[in-house]
Amino acid sequence: MSETILSVENLRVEFETRRGTLVALDDISFSIAKGEVLGVVGESGAGKSMTGAAIMHLIPRPGRIAGGRILLGDQRIDNLDRTGIEAIRGRRIGMIFQDPLTSLNPLMTVGDHLTETIRVHLPLNRRQARARAIELLEEVGIPDPAVRIDSYPHEFSGGQRQRVVIALALCAEPELVIADEPTTALDVSVQAQIIKLIRKLCSTRGTAFMLITHDMGMIAETADRVAVMYAGKVAEIGKVSQVVGAPLHPYAQGLMGAIPSLDNEEPRLRQIPGSMPSLTALPDGCSFHPRCERAMDICRQRAPALLGAIDHKVACHLYEREEVAA
Amino acid sequence: MSNSEFVRVEKLNRVFDVSKPLLNRIIERQPKRFVHAATDVSFSIAKGETFALVGESGSGKSTVAKMVVGLLPATSGTVEIDGVSITGKHDRAQMRALRRRIQMIFQDPYASLNPRWRVASIIAEPMLALGIAKSKAEAQHEAGELLKVVGLNPLDGRKYPHEFSGGQRQRIAIARALAAKAEFIVCDEPTSALDVSVQAQILNLMRDLQEQFGLTYLLISHNLAVVRHMSSRIGVMHFGKLVEVEESRALFKNPRQSYTRMLIDAVPDISAATRR
Repeated sequence: MSETILSVENLRVEFETRRGTLVALDDISFSIAKGEVLGVVGESGAGKSMTGAAIMHLIPRPGRIAGGRILLGDQRIDNLDRTGIEAIRGRRIGMIFQDPLTSLNPLMTVGDHLTETIRVHLPLNRRQARARAIELLEEVGIPDPAVRIDSYPHEFSGGQRQRVVIALALCAEPELVIADEPTTALDVSVQAQIIKLIRKLCSTRGTAFMLITHDMGMIAETADRVAVMYAGKVAEIGKVSQVVGAPLHPYAQGLMGAIPSLDNEEPRLRQIPGSMPSLTALPDGCSFHPRCERAMDICRQRAPALLGAIDHKVACHLYEREEVAA
Repeated sequence: MSNSEFVRVEKLNRVFDVSKPLLNRIIERQPKRFVHAATDVSFSIAKGETFALVGESGSGKSTVAKMVVGLLPATSGTVEIDGVSITGKHDRAQMRALRRRIQMIFQDPYASLNPRWRVASIIAEPMLALGIAKSKAEAQHEAGELLKVVGLNPLDGRKYPHEFSGGQRQRIAIARALAAKAEFIVCDEPTSALDVSVQAQILNLMRDLQEQFGLTYLLISHNLAVVRHMSSRIGVMHFGKLVEVEESRALFKNPRQSYTRMLIDAVPDISAATRR
């Protein structure tokens, strides 16, 4: 891992509402290197999709970036205007959405989708674009691409449609692909194929992936590093083997224990009491403390900072203290 | 495994007619077309046991579940619950007595609770409809008790469903199933709409209640890890057929069918993180 493709520094996203300002993302920092898969996990409402949306300038109104920086390579992209971000969207950052049926136009053939996108981004004529579209379909594993290119989305199965959507995201050879729950709508066997495909694309093309999902198994199989999000903050970030195998943050520990595993013989799952607080009622201090069995006085007063080594950081007072002592 | 068969499903078939309209068939000279959603499905569940049906979407597992509770008539085959057939002809009273003992928990807790009813009324309804409670007051009181059983506050009964989170709503759905004094509960993807930490809470609750009330579960799920965790025996469905029925541990250790093997291998598992 060397070249950094994307770095997000102290990102803060706010929503101005009649009931005051809601902080959807608070002090988010991470980076993704070339050819790396960064998994972003968390429960619904943790802010994982919002992070992806912030990078692409797709935050729904009245949300706005209220602080921090987003760098793509050396270029700052969080303050770009409309034309500026449009030159990046699709061209340098591709996006894959959850539901492959709704992200394709039912009235256009798969070839129309691909050639249109290719010609927007690359200086190719119709014939060249079509040839490239066929290559792309081949690469994502659509059998008989020269024939299938003239089919409509409804003629493809769910897994194949998701492959087409991946091909669409790859049209302009982006450096980074943001995949928001790419396999949630798919069956397990198809899901496994998509995971394989993503890993293959990373190694052959050096594309970096930001993989947003709630499925810890998917992360364990696909990602190199993982960021665990909770209530708009990064709770823990590090190598998958460390964060999934030996998590430090009590929330991450609870989350891993809550997942039924094929190897797990325990009759009861570990459960985290309660549910994630809504943004309108975030508790003071660490937002996890009301659900945390190891909460201390300081947790109720002050939010912990994300600290630790470069490749494994955690935001929890339990470890902050150790560091001071050491 | 005890031999007492509480639920017995034998040679259950369901055929859906998906033919084009008559006139189209005549003009286009096409025959009638049928989909076999379930073909000769047979299994039995012992009292107090959890039996799971797994399979990919379209494999027919929900069709079977609907036939087992009687929401969908079977094309052929029989479903017997505690020795009484629900597929045969019955007088109304007998059917009613049987219905009380079978309840269902659905996948989407946002769609399965009436948004215009207070939670206490939702839970009291089966008690009144099936004549378990003698008066409205008694049913309402009992609803409060049931809310306690599923880990909610009895005072929550005054609220409406929209005031609850997904996990809490699924608790309400479970309380409603218990209100009928059900012995056999069919759970169709009970946790697939929930977050993992909430899923763990619901799965643990289902286990606790099973012990407490001696419930029998038929669990429908596409999530093999959930199924592995919850059930003692598992049936694997593929294209409407039950391809393998096996005790849970044995199935995962040594699947006999290649399809089952493929399904198990495809599951993204968190232990992969330490293996890689």
